[in-house]
Amino acid sequence: MTPRTLPIKKRGFSFEVFMWAFTRFTVFAMYGLILAGIFGALIVSSKTGAGFGDILYWAFFPTLAENPLGQIGMTVLAKLMVISLTLVACGHGVHGVLEIWDDYVTNEGARRWARNIVITYAVAASIIAVYVILSA
Amino acid sequence: MGSNRNISLPAGIMYKGGPAFLTYMLHRVGGATLFIFFTVYVLSLLGLGSMRALMNNWLFLTFILIFGLFHVINGLRISILDLWPKLMLHYRSIIQVEWIVYAAVAGCALFLLFTRTFGG
Repeated sequence: MTPRTLPIKKRGFSFEVFMWAFTRFTVFAMYGLILAGIFGALIVSSKTGAGFGDILYWAFFPTLAENPLGQIGMTVLAKLMVISLTLVACGHGVHGVLEIWDDYVTNEGARRWARNIVITYAVAASIIAVYVILSA
Repeated sequence: MGSNRNISLPAGIMYKGGPAFLTYMLHRVGGATLFIFFTVYVLSLLGLGSMRALMNNWLFLTFILIFGLFHVINGLRISILDLWPKLMLHYRSIIQVEWIVYAAVAGCALFLLFTRTFGG
């Protein structure tokens, strides 16, 4: 038995195909950012002598820890990476939550309200996260 | 368009879908868990003391690690099968490999967490 697959060219461009592609894109972006973050932190750790764990902890919780890097270039790069990961994870999560919601709630009105609330929440949370990480 | 399946929760839980269905359900639970983690993370960034305490709570972190790591590893399996659909023929074996990888990764993560929490 061979698996049934439809070539991408024949899938068309519906909302479902777009969201499928978006979800896959965000997944690969997250794996890439995680790997880049780990290798980046290892390289910076070996160059500056700062602890690997300290760098990652500061990168994700800049308001709770001292900046172990010191250099402005690396600090900006680390912040951009964490912001990218946060935004991509938020985009991926919004789609996931709405998909689960749509599976269990069949009422059209409830679906529309949930969609508006979750997307508003995601935008607000993303703005807060970006602002705090940049300003810390 | 609404669904007309009308499957009750007990019937859904008792569905004998095998390992693929189990990973499907756990993937959803893991995704919901990570969404909660994201919320707690953003609120702790804002400086809410209770959320910071939650981020350092070993029980909360254990919950996140168990379900979150499964979501990550299962997502990788799904992506691999999407990229190479011919591997779908071996999905049962791939799921078994996934469980082994998950047990190893989650075991290490939980060991480190518990060592840090209870190791004096």
